[in-house]
Amino acid sequence: MSAIRLLELLILVSALAGFLGLLLRRNLFLKVLAMDVMGTAVVALFVLFAARSGLRSPILRELPAAAALADPIPQGVILTAIVIGLSIQALLLVVMTQLARLDPSLDVESFDGGSAG
Amino acid sequence: MIAAVDALAAPSPGLIKAWLLVPFAAAFVAVLMPSLARGLVLVSSLITGLVGIGQLLGGSPLELDLLGALGVSLRLDGMAGWFLLLNGLLVSAVVLEGWMRPPVPLRSMLLLVLQGGLTVSCVATDLVSLYVTLELVGIAAFLLIVLPQSDNTLWIGLRYLLLSNTAMGLYLIGAALVYVQQDSFRMAALAGLPFGAPQVFLLIGLFSKAGLFLGGLWLPRTHAEAPPEISALLSGVVVTGGAVPLLRLAEVDQALLSPIRWVGMASAVLGVVYALSDGDAKRLLAWSTLSQMGLVVLSPLSGGAMALAHGLAKGALFLSARQFTTRQLHSWAASALSPLALGVLWIASLSIAGLPPFAGYAAKKQLDSVLPEPWGLMVLLVSVGTVAVYARLWSVGLQVKPPAPGALPVAWCQWLAFGLLLVPLVLGAEALAPTWKPGIGLITTALVLAAGLLLQRWLRPGQPLPVLERLDQLLGGVVVLGAGLLAGFAGGL
Repeated sequence: MSAIRLLELLILVSALAGFLGLLLRRNLFLKVLAMDVMGTAVVALFVLFAARSGLRSPILRELPAAAALADPIPQGVILTAIVIGLSIQALLLVVMTQLARLDPSLDVESFDGGSAG
Repeated sequence: MIAAVDALAAPSPGLIKAWLLVPFAAAFVAVLMPSLARGLVLVSSLITGLVGIGQLLGGSPLELDLLGALGVSLRLDGMAGWFLLLNGLLVSAVVLEGWMRPPVPLRSMLLLVLQGGLTVSCVATDLVSLYVTLELVGIAAFLLIVLPQSDNTLWIGLRYLLLSNTAMGLYLIGAALVYVQQDSFRMAALAGLPFGAPQVFLLIGLFSKAGLFLGGLWLPRTHAEAPPEISALLSGVVVTGGAVPLLRLAEVDQALLSPIRWVGMASAVLGVVYALSDGDAKRLLAWSTLSQMGLVVLSPLSGGAMALAHGLAKGALFLSARQFTTRQLHSWAASALSPLALGVLWIASLSIAGLPPFAGYAAKKQLDSVLPEPWGLMVLLVSVGTVAVYARLWSVGLQVKPPAPGALPVAWCQWLAFGLLLVPLVLGAEALAPTWKPGIGLITTALVLAAGLLLQRWLRPGQPLPVLERLDQLLGGVVVLGAGLLAGFAGGL
């Protein structure tokens, strides 16, 4: 198995692990952390795809003629997603501090069960 | 004046860029000068609505590539026009309706950001710009939901943002897979791709955003428990942020049309069934949104008209929900509404039920005319269900609540707000279907109405339907839908 395939597999496994955590954990805080694991896996996926053509950062300075450069487009794109992920994480944590007044154990059931009918 | 009309009909690239920046610049100013904030929302909505009208009246479409071939690509066309007009009308109606109440701090700023995000999501044609703008819409909607800071809205908002971000994470995986195969993030790059994992990831992200089958089942509870004016925005325009890209994708790649149609139809049916069994008026409206959004994505040719007719009517209904004396449907028939709320209820619900002479009727006729045969029949059955759903609200009759002693008369701004939403509904049918002729269409509609009323009479409250809206069920629904799409359509159905 080539290195890139192996990394691809590992990234997909971590995305899946994040999603399963989001699905199965009962604690709200752990759910949000699991969501972040998934988000990080997506970031890694973009970085891996950028490295298909080479590993060197494509910064314009005197480069050796045959340097294998990384693809700058996915790298540039994922920067935005990282920032968005961070801000959403921050917003969720702020709301969670408020919800912790209702149920300090942050069990999803105590919020979801209440008025779900 | 003539120059302004010209600029609307054939906008230059520079003007478009400036126009896209207007809501965000206005949001910045609104924070610095809170006294101007609500005026700025109105100005920004006016500009957005005018650009939409310009495109609908046959303005020339414009394609724009910023930052080169791999950068941001935008397309302003008739499709975007419908959604821009809806966006402008609904946001200004929400501001006008609350004009006499003390302003909620920061709400105007968030409305402007929401408007800007939705505007970009209507015109973006590359997957990454779309991702950014949909996340922006999600964050702005989340903040609008949690601003009242009650314990319940906090949980509802958190749930919404958690699901929306998860869905967009899956969408991003899809975008990465498309890029690996096609070296481009454009929607057009999907055209040559065989249906597989990339499309499924993109679709389940967008389905969740648009409030469609399984992934979008967060919608009823969120829309029912948010404050009335925010529900109006969520049901009217926020869900269209996910629907426009679906319509554009279906246009680009015919292979995607079939899964989108199946999921749309499933939402339409599910929404009607749950709306018929729910006992709460606001939840009934929210389930009906799920059902109508399903009809919107059935065809790119009629989606804009359907979304406009539905968004205006549902926005007006949710805005008037503040004046409902009760939300419980079992005591609904005995309740009475103020004259304004009663007028809104009748006009808007008749339009959503697809009855003439309202815009909803023309939109539904347009949908009928572009759908192939078995689908047309299914839409007809859903229409019967929709009539039955709204017949539950019609049981209130024409009883007018006598004004409470000392109550203020309805303010001018409220008349204006509901006028903005209802006048296009009453007058819009002619514009939507210029070739419409009375005849066979009217007979079908009369039969649908009769069947719907009978269905509502005949239905008795029975076994409660299973609850599908707990957080783990919603997340699980995304997986089930993704697996179903892969299994059902990757084989070339």
